[in-house]
Amino acid sequence: MTRPVRAGAPLLEIRGLSKHYGTIRALDDVSFHLGRDEVVGLLGDNGAGKSTLVKCLAGAVIPTAGEVYLHGEQKVFSTPAEARREGIETVYQQLALVDIFDIAANFYLGREMTRTGWRGRFGMLDRRSMKKRARAAVELLPARFPNLDALIETMSGGQRQVVAISRAGFWGGRLLLLDEPTAALGVKEAAAVLEMIGAMVSAAETDMAMIVISHNMDHVWSICTRLLILRQGRLVADLLKSETSRQEVVAHITGAFD
Amino acid sequence: MSTEDGGSGRDVRGGGRLGALYEAVISKLGSRRVRFTAMQARVGVLVLLAAFFTFRSEYFFTSTNLVNVLVNGAVIGIIGSAMTLLLVARQVDVSVGSAIGFAGAVFAVVARDYGLFWGVVGAVAAAMAIAAINAVAILRFRVNSILTTLATLVAFRGASKLVMDGRAVRVEGFRFLGRTRFEVLGVEIPVAVLVLLLVVAFFYILMRLTKYGQHMYAIGANPQAARLAGIPLERQVGIAFVLTGITVAVAALIVVSQVGAVSPTTGERMEFLALTGVIVGGASLYGGRGSVIGTLVAILILAVLDNGLVLLQVQSFWQEVMRGVLLLGAVVFDQLGRRESEVRMEV
Repeated sequence: MTRPVRAGAPLLEIRGLSKHYGTIRALDDVSFHLGRDEVVGLLGDNGAGKSTLVKCLAGAVIPTAGEVYLHGEQKVFSTPAEARREGIETVYQQLALVDIFDIAANFYLGREMTRTGWRGRFGMLDRRSMKKRARAAVELLPARFPNLDALIETMSGGQRQVVAISRAGFWGGRLLLLDEPTAALGVKEAAAVLEMIGAMVSAAETDMAMIVISHNMDHVWSICTRLLILRQGRLVADLLKSETSRQEVVAHITGAFD
Repeated sequence: MSTEDGGSGRDVRGGGRLGALYEAVISKLGSRRVRFTAMQARVGVLVLLAAFFTFRSEYFFTSTNLVNVLVNGAVIGIIGSAMTLLLVARQVDVSVGSAIGFAGAVFAVVARDYGLFWGVVGAVAAAMAIAAINAVAILRFRVNSILTTLATLVAFRGASKLVMDGRAVRVEGFRFLGRTRFEVLGVEIPVAVLVLLLVVAFFYILMRLTKYGQHMYAIGANPQAARLAGIPLERQVGIAFVLTGITVAVAALIVVSQVGAVSPTTGERMEFLALTGVIVGGASLYGGRGSVIGTLVAILILAVLDNGLVLLQVQSFWQEVMRGVLLLGAVVFDQLGRRESEVRMEV
């Protein structure tokens, strides 16, 4: 049942999304929608279904049931590449960077530019153009990389996460999914990464919605305007930050209202 | 906005006591710390070995002997090039020795009964069949590549004996690949050496300059990241097995042409010689590392070593010992040098 594209349709709408693994309901009948420029925190305990939800949107997991609409148009993603083609960029919890490549090569991973003319027909890489464009993009970012040629394996965890997020921002998708961007980072590094995300959010020209997964309340609280809370695969709360309190959010996460 | 690196004070160089030994050896090489890359070390070893043998034997540094060295390294270098590509993507093919034997046997038998042309067709078909079996088992049924190709190594050694009925088969009138020489700048260069150079150049361009090569390094270094980035992993690795099949067919034809016959042991242990060259050349079984130039230099080191020890009339058992020492040395060196990079960046 596809619906016509409506001008006023929300950027993202999810209806009855479920993912079952045998008898386990990792995600159970989740519905919500998301407007442009919204930054939504996706909260929940371990195993609440946060990663499953994001993977369904990213095309890395195929949902058992339910529909996904982008601007009112139904989409089915069976591979990450398909989701990316629709402007959904994902930063995974386990870093999806290639250690032995530099920043530019990681930005263009799987989407490498080839040279024009006969060399392009043989799949010859255009490393210079990739480097040039990556450099231009990085210069607009709040992060500083003194050496763009450095390999990822020489970087700290925080720097790697900044590269991963920059890559998502570089492709300028409509929807950015961040799966635990600050997990496995030290306090200072997490702060730097959050600052980076905050800067991307507030940058006037980005017209991009974001879903940030975290089990760290402080991190989510500092950058999000709205909070979705999952519990045992179900969406138990959809709250505006301005109308709620941390106590209420924690109560939803832990199931105190059940 | 700026943060410290990782917040951990661990020594990036690592390696503990061996690391300290490595440091000591390195610092002994000069008053200031001399840094050299693994590639420079390989070339250095090659030059030192060649200098040593030149000094010890009047026959070593003659054009005839140097061409011999190249010929002896050619077949191993050809299959080693394809194997480098496989290792870069975290795969390996140890069946190539038997594949050469099988393709050679099919060639000899078919050529005897139907002529050289159909013999060549048969050899290519035989090599591709083995490549297809390996690729399907590894990519479709997800069997580990070492186990898969170990099984085909054993099976096709038997199959090639079946094809030639357990007896050597002579091949008449097939001299071109193995015994024809071209004169280049006054030196007679065998066709096999020219084929080696072409194969190395092909794999160099493929791995360093193309999107395909970039994908193979990504697949080997981080398969999960490659998959999430939309790289068609099965397809790219499958192509590498097909290329391996082609090099096996070429190698088999060269061997058969050089020897003028195929025996039940043709190609035996070539997988180990090639793998030794590839590892000494800087590739890692853990993927993401390696280059055909490194492999070529390493195979030249091994060929020079074999040749020089023969010229010095050293008992031939020492060749095997030296190969093992070289392999172990390369692996240890690699393990220590791995932690060398210490570039810092600011967030």
